[in-house]
Amino acid sequence: MRRREFLRLLGFGVAVTAVLPASLAAASFPDSINPEYKLNGVKLTPEDLVTSYNNFYEWGTSKDQPKDQANRGWKTESWTIEIAGLCASPRKLLVDELIQLVGGIERRNYRHRCVEAWSMVIPWDGFPLKKLIDLAQPTSEAKFVKFISFLDPANCPAQRANELPWPYTEGLTLAEASNELAFLATGLYGKPLRNQNGAPIRLVVPWKYGYKSAKSLVKIEFVAEQPPTTWNVILPNEYGFYANVNPNVDHPRWSQKSERVIGGGFFSGKQPTLMFNGYEKQVSHLYAGMDLRKNF
Amino acid sequence: MKILTRIAGSRLAALSLIVGGGIYTLVIPVFAGTLGANPLEALLHRSGEIAIWTLGAVLSLTPLRVLFPGAQIVAALNRHRRAIGVSACVYGLLHFTAHVLYEGGWEGLQRSLSKPFIWYGLVGLSILVILAATSNQFSIRKLGGRNWKGLHRLAYIAAALLIYHQAIAGKGHWQIARWLLFPLAALQVARVTKMLLRKPVRISAFNQNVRHVAKKTITTTVSSDTSMRAMNNTPQGNRVNAC
Repeated sequence: MRRREFLRLLGFGVAVTAVLPASLAAASFPDSINPEYKLNGVKLTPEDLVTSYNNFYEWGTSKDQPKDQANRGWKTESWTIEIAGLCASPRKLLVDELIQLVGGIERRNYRHRCVEAWSMVIPWDGFPLKKLIDLAQPTSEAKFVKFISFLDPANCPAQRANELPWPYTEGLTLAEASNELAFLATGLYGKPLRNQNGAPIRLVVPWKYGYKSAKSLVKIEFVAEQPPTTWNVILPNEYGFYANVNPNVDHPRWSQKSERVIGGGFFSGKQPTLMFNGYEKQVSHLYAGMDLRKNF
Repeated sequence: MKILTRIAGSRLAALSLIVGGGIYTLVIPVFAGTLGANPLEALLHRSGEIAIWTLGAVLSLTPLRVLFPGAQIVAALNRHRRAIGVSACVYGLLHFTAHVLYEGGWEGLQRSLSKPFIWYGLVGLSILVILAATSNQFSIRKLGGRNWKGLHRLAYIAAALLIYHQAIAGKGHWQIARWLLFPLAALQVARVTKMLLRKPVRISAFNQNVRHVAKKTITTTVSSDTSMRAMNNTPQGNRVNAC
């Protein structure tokens, strides 16, 4: 036993030394699952589907495009992220440094529900957003957190074609961002995030529709007012700021009562969608007294 | 050019393209497993796209005919208007079937019927079904040329509904719809302008000619391509079909 442990440590040490200059993020693996977020009895979506069916409009509007388009030399190593706005401790740092500062990463299996009525279950690797908030120490005026994705028109065809107002921007209330579920993912299936999934760091807010979980973040900013968010700006009647998964509030073009599970066959049908995507216990208090039909 | 015209007029070539296109984009990928992570959604989108492009194709034939009455290739393509029109309906029905499957059956379908988005598609498709069902000599005879023509002008309403359905299907982008809408609208504007620029004298002659040829179409009940040829031989014959 001891010998085996020693060998494993030795192996790990060698691995760390080997990849250290290239990427600390890679070295933060293997991580271990947080037992609170195992989702026992729920089937994970196969890795090849999670990495080939992506809504990432910077790399094309169809789901199979990002896997191809985002892997044509787009560099996501040595990525810096800025923590800014109304906080005591703003800073700009490498994602790898951030991972070290928050004390490494853990794994969580989360349900993922797209506003387009399909869903996955994804094993993310990363750390709670709360840890970053504690690091930043927002001031009392800070009421919202704004998440800004990368802007790189030189390497990103869709950003040149200007189909959406880039960069992609999302936002949460500070209370939502501080919730135990809000997560910053740096990995997927025990490996660093693939480019098409929002490398090297992305937001994961599992009780909200997928579009809230902004990818490839370059800036997290604490602000006083509700920030304009990309889909809400483009189609305000279809995509709300809150975007909580809610089977009782339909999208104008389709019902949100049920969802197609990615990985099912032609005749698998749909499964019922759960309130707050099954995370009602953890988040419903955030919306107490709020009209969710109006604040969709 | 002559070979091209012959190919364009060939029934076999047209059918292979219409049916083969469907097999290539819908059937083979099912068995090859190349439809991606959400295969039914892929079939849903692909069948809808083929349907709308096919509808666009058939609607471009008449304006092209008016604008280029002398072009043999246009005349050759016009031989296939019935086949193309009917196949737009068939692909539309496949699209609807994929929608029912995607929604997981009756309950899901019912839920989807509460959305205007679905109704644009459904009403448009219903029109296509009526038009496809009456795309035969029997219906032309039964309804009379004038009524039949009036009925088949519903194709424009179907097109408007279906292009709108396609346009709002995307999340804030409407690439396909604009590539259909603008060329089709431009063709129609050009066609109407050309018709309006014609002298009034010839318009009355045109009306007589309509009656004349319409009667001829009904009485002779020839297959569409031979009637087309007959119309081509009359001086203003090409305008008869211009609707």
